[in-house]
Amino acid sequence: MDDQAAIERCRAGDKEAFRHVVEHYQAEAIGHAIAILGNRDDAMDAVQEAFIDSFQALDRIDLTRRFYPWFYVILRNRCYKLAAGRKKREMNISDETEIVAPTSSIRPEDTMLLEQVMLELPIEDRELITLKHLDGLSYEELAERLEVPQGTIMSRLYYARKKLREKLVRHSFKGFSEG
Amino acid sequence: MTKLNCKTVCMAAMAIADGYQSELSSDQIEAHLASCSDCRREVGQLREISSLLDAQERRQRTENVWKQVERRLPDAATARSISKAWRPFMLLGALLLGYRIVEMIPDRDLGFLFKLVPVLFVIGAFSYLKENPFKINSELRLEGE
Repeated sequence: MDDQAAIERCRAGDKEAFRHVVEHYQAEAIGHAIAILGNRDDAMDAVQEAFIDSFQALDRIDLTRRFYPWFYVILRNRCYKLAAGRKKREMNISDETEIVAPTSSIRPEDTMLLEQVMLELPIEDRELITLKHLDGLSYEELAERLEVPQGTIMSRLYYARKKLREKLVRHSFKGFSEG
Repeated sequence: MTKLNCKTVCMAAMAIADGYQSELSSDQIEAHLASCSDCRREVGQLREISSLLDAQERRQRTENVWKQVERRLPDAATARSISKAWRPFMLLGALLLGYRIVEMIPDRDLGFLFKLVPVLFVIGAFSYLKENPFKINSELRLEGE
């Protein structure tokens, strides 16, 4: 069953069809929610709420467009609302980003440090970097997903990476080549 | 040629590395980087960070939220049907309001039939809803009865 057929059946009140949608997109949604919130439990709450919100809003979706970018806006709103509510909760060691053990060419300690400094970034920067580098979205796709112009994506990415660099330097990151 | 701002050059250099066409050409950027060691170092480090990030992989998620979502969906579906159920009543309200405005026009006798219009509206609404407003539901019981 494709998304369009599933959504049409959901609109007719078929909950089982919505199961197809949830199970198809939940892994991606959880990954994005963790990337924004930096915390698994909050991310799970946000994803559940976002799926329920989206079910209630299915009448408004344009079936000619893909489901996930539309859903992502709802998920994002849920994550930011949750983040604003919890204020500056201390992140602990169990908090995680979406980054995992990469290719063998990267030193494990660099990945661990990268994961640590990612959690120190503001959520907007963490979200942008994740979408750019882990999802490989283009500027055009990022602009659509985050509802901002491409020029804004360019400057926000630049400043996000600069912040990341400053934090890596502060943590005595050894990965930069000399020169 | 105007002197290029370091920040603009670094931003454009990173955008080009990302595959986005910035306002500055590659030649302009390279010329500036060749003469500015600070920008060269900054762009070099930012590119290394980009490469480091690009080499990361997404964690595979296996959690399933369907059960938690499903448990709360009937409420969501009810909310949708409630919001839809209000539509005929909103339409009826708008029609009755329109009728009242027309009725208030001074020095106009619209006749006896016009006075029956609200009744027709109400009959029409309940016919649409397939509900008899005067039906007594004998299945209703008081709590504890």
